Amino acid sequence: MVIGYLIVVVGKNSAHLLYLGRPLRFWRAAMRPDRSWIARGIWATGIFAAAGFVYLMPHLFGGAWRLLDSAQTFSAWIAGLAALFIMFYDGLLMSASPAIAFWHTPMLPLLVLMYATLGGTTLSLALREIAGLHDQVVPALLHAERLLLLGNLVFLGAYLWRMSRWTPAARETVRLLLAGPYARAFVGIVVSVGLVATFLLSLAAAGAATRALLLVIATCELAGDFTLLLLLLKSGLFAPQTAFPY
Amino acid sequence: MPRLGMVIDLKRCIGCNACTLACKQEMGTPPGVHFARVITREVGTYPQTRRTFLPVLCNHCDNAPCEKACPSGATYIRPDGIVMVDRDKCIGCRACAVACPYMNRHYIEPDALKSGYDGDGPNPYEAFKFADFLEGTVTKCTLCAHRVDRGLEPACVVTCPTEARIFGDLEEKGGKLQKLISERKSWTLLPECNTKPSVYYLDS
Repeated sequence: MVIGYLIVVVGKNSAHLLYLGRPLRFWRAAMRPDRSWIARGIWATGIFAAAGFVYLMPHLFGGAWRLLDSAQTFSAWIAGLAALFIMFYDGLLMSASPAIAFWHTPMLPLLVLMYATLGGTTLSLALREIAGLHDQVVPALLHAERLLLLGNLVFLGAYLWRMSRWTPAARETVRLLLAGPYARAFVGIVVSVGLVATFLLSLAAAGAATRALLLVIATCELAGDFTLLLLLLKSGLFAPQTAFPY
Repeated sequence: MPRLGMVIDLKRCIGCNACTLACKQEMGTPPGVHFARVITREVGTYPQTRRTFLPVLCNHCDNAPCEKACPSGATYIRPDGIVMVDRDKCIGCRACAVACPYMNRHYIEPDALKSGYDGDGPNPYEAFKFADFLEGTVTKCTLCAHRVDRGLEPACVVTCPTEARIFGDLEEKGGKLQKLISERKSWTLLPECNTKPSVYYLDS
């Protein structure tokens, strides 16, 4: 839980901060939650950070820091809802813009949410293994992992199929991913390693889940996960302004 | 309140790029940044080929996706329809540049203002003009708001030798822009994006 918290609060925000052209003005990113998905994401991250810290206080500083049960439950719910929003608001951000047809679909936030759920499940498996927590949660996580892998494979296929019948820019993106310069990374890492190989390995782990096998599963899936996000960003194409025949 | 816009007559445009140069001179944009540019295309099959020219600039959209994407409120739409960027509020996230379907938002890279076109450092004119820009922020065409507020027309409109660019109020009933748009075959760029641009093109 603490590692997940740190990944979001420290890792994610640090990455955003490094990218900004004027990082000292970072606080302005929260000014327009009424219009901007980025601002909404910043607010969600802030709420998650605050509520998550309240919830984690007893784990970090001891039982004396535990609040009333109702307050703990409330902070857990708020942190959970904020985390759910954080899982897929970047998909909403990308799909909100009409500029890049490959992103401008309600399917993208769903794809991002599914991959976020899969990534979270994988990370939970890996961290439990590293921490030496071999309990009844592990088989359940493995089962969830398998279902999510299958679900993601099917949904990713449906997404590409839909985009292959969309605008010329979207169709070109599909071509780049399947037969163009990104094909090796997409087919090789995202699909073959991240989904197919991971699924087969997780089937093997159902019988004998060794530490090495679980960590390999986690590495393969996370590699596919991050590669997909990177490729989604790199492959999005603007429609040419000269598309109109004149 | 007027809604300022532009009509570009593609029958008159000869692709001379005078608008590109006029804008560069008026705004003093850094190397690599062009608020106004001309897309040139060759169409047809030999021997029936011809070159076509499409002058592009910020469309100052009524439903601007850049304004919606901006988290800091740096991008705003003036009452007269001109879309502006407040460089003192811009955080340089470039969400607007991704959101703009027309690719008319320009990020000023770090150190971009330290070298002029000669590469030796900005000359006195560049140094004076570069003061209007801030590294790490996004900039864009302002429809020469500083000229418009003084009753003048944008530099690209004034310079065009064939008078292919016509500037005015899109809301003016029976005004020159509305007349041109209704009398000739006209269109806007990427209408499927539903941005409601203020720049119309008259068919060639």
